[in-house]
Amino acid sequence: MPKILISDSTLRDGSHAVGHQLNSHQVAVYAAAAEAAGIPIVEVGHGNGLGASSLQLGESLISDNEMLISARKHLTNSKLGILIIPGFATINKDLSRAIEAGVDVVRVASHCTEADITERHITYARQKGKEVYGVLMMSHMAPKEMLVDEALKMELYGAEGVILMDSAGAYLPSDVTEKVSALVNKLRIPIGFHAHNNLGMAVANSIAAVEAGATILDGTVRGFGAGAGNAQLEVLVAVLEKMGYSTGIDLYKILDAADIAEKEMIKVIPSIKSESIVSGLSGVFSGFLKPVNRIAQKYGVDPRDIFFELGRRQVVAGQEDLIIEVAQELSHRRDIK
Amino acid sequence: MNHILKSVRKDCDEVTASSIPLLYKLKGECIFITGGTGFMGTWLVEMVTFLNDVYSFNTRLILLSDRANNFSAKASHLAMRKDVELVERDVRNLIEIPEVVTYIIHAAANPDNRMHASDPLKTMDVISRGTDAVLNAAVRLPVLKKLLNISSGLIYGPQPPDFDSIAEDYRGGSDCGSVTSAYSEAKRFAETLCAAYRSQYKIAIVTARPFAFIGPYQLLDKPWAINNFIRDSLMGGPVRILGDGQTVRCYMYPSDMAFWLLRILIDGTPGLAYNVGSPHGVTLQQLAEKITGNFPIKPRIISRVAGESDLYRSKLVPDVTLAQKSLGLNLTVDIDEAIRRTLLWHRESGIKGI
Repeated sequence: MPKILISDSTLRDGSHAVGHQLNSHQVAVYAAAAEAAGIPIVEVGHGNGLGASSLQLGESLISDNEMLISARKHLTNSKLGILIIPGFATINKDLSRAIEAGVDVVRVASHCTEADITERHITYARQKGKEVYGVLMMSHMAPKEMLVDEALKMELYGAEGVILMDSAGAYLPSDVTEKVSALVNKLRIPIGFHAHNNLGMAVANSIAAVEAGATILDGTVRGFGAGAGNAQLEVLVAVLEKMGYSTGIDLYKILDAADIAEKEMIKVIPSIKSESIVSGLSGVFSGFLKPVNRIAQKYGVDPRDIFFELGRRQVVAGQEDLIIEVAQELSHRRDIK
Repeated sequence: MNHILKSVRKDCDEVTASSIPLLYKLKGECIFITGGTGFMGTWLVEMVTFLNDVYSFNTRLILLSDRANNFSAKASHLAMRKDVELVERDVRNLIEIPEVVTYIIHAAANPDNRMHASDPLKTMDVISRGTDAVLNAAVRLPVLKKLLNISSGLIYGPQPPDFDSIAEDYRGGSDCGSVTSAYSEAKRFAETLCAAYRSQYKIAIVTARPFAFIGPYQLLDKPWAINNFIRDSLMGGPVRILGDGQTVRCYMYPSDMAFWLLRILIDGTPGLAYNVGSPHGVTLQQLAEKITGNFPIKPRIISRVAGESDLYRSKLVPDVTLAQKSLGLNLTVDIDEAIRRTLLWHRESGIKGI
């Protein structure tokens, strides 16, 4: 039976959904539930990864270290994972401390055309004997040939797998098939896929990825994540099981874990709001949703207009400051009219 | 001389023990080595200075390197010697080679595939323009006897699955349209450039195509299987194998490498290329077992760490019949002993590269 490696981003991507306000108790309770379900990798941290807590991106309620220590205590067979984006996370300040806190899996992410910036972080984590993956964010913004080149760099730096992120939830299954197939054909390391549900395609896209040869999938229980949420993990596990794939996850216990998460930390179950659809269509990172809404309200402009303008400008994660600029411009244009 | 340096001397002694006369042609010569302070260069210097000290070869070395000034930190016992001269310069900017030079070993190139990925243009530039600069300077030398061009086993591209090993006459190649071929394609170009200079300027050029090595002076920060296995084992494990562990690689100990290169330099036939490496393939599973077997508490070995995939299965093993038959070259250090000595080196030198 083909085996799929599941990485659970609930305690990382889900952080976006609650303004990065997860507390130690919630982290501990969910980590214990994930461990019981046999989830292979449990990713923990600020929504934008290690070291990303800030005024503009959102300040975490508890520090990275507290989150990691809380999760670590409850993970024995499940591995503790982190996401790091070089620039937010530095090696000395963040990564080395996370490794000291007992991280097993390090995912080093960059915008899909900027894999060069991941070399030092990948090298460092490999030197520390950790399992290391490369992540190409906003992968819908680059053609498959460019994704192959960038993913190959990560492979050469020492990544043990490369994950394509559909950060904006912009893919249709045929896009996923095209891009994942290209990577599977050209790389020697496993390929993974991280879906977002802006267009209601997260589970379907994840399945398309697997059928194109991906062997790593990300998901979050109840789809708890940025914007419209992620591939709903318990659904994904059930579908994979039905299709004959093995995940090593206990179905009943992942269903229990999802119930526990809903009770303990998911104030509002992610749904596909109008702005999320616009985010998916415009190809703008789902994590922009909350700041866009906030800033749209402040400047009295339509958040959908902001999204389409951001999409036209091809903004990427980390360029959140542009939201204000765009809102000001739209507001200015409206005033002139 | 400290213990680890003595062990390198012992390695040089061992590999040359019954073959010193085969190296007599180097006596009183002057060898110019580009990339002279790298892994390969450092071992060549260890070998030649050993010959000078123990067998009075009186061979002079001039090392060209863009990081020559760092050599004293890496190997001060070599950098401060009277028979070793350091020249700090980018090989691409080489104009002249001292007239006293009688042999050249052109080894300047960075084999780190991370650099090939991040800066493919520089990778290709250093190899293509660097080789051209060396050859251009070499043709003006009055007493040059031979030039050894260090190419790469990577020029063959992927080894066909039905091949046990790759011989020098294999005409494969890597995907020339891929950015990951920057190093191997540049090395192919450099070989052709050597052929052109040999044809037009009648200088004696021989080529070596090195494969994989493991031993002292090699840092453990490279993302290559054996380096990772050794580093992870030294840190207590676990050792992680990507894929099912059936990928086949081969490793030569660097004292053998240095001896082979000097022999090819002296007696290799101009115009020919010689594979340099171990002909004994080892699967990554076997390799991990061999490495971890050196520890009292054997580190755990985990395979298939990142999901099912047979894509890892590949093989890269040289056929070294040409070097064996025409130059009488053989391996004196097998893989088990190479691993044992490498571990000892890293333990005693504080696990460099971590």
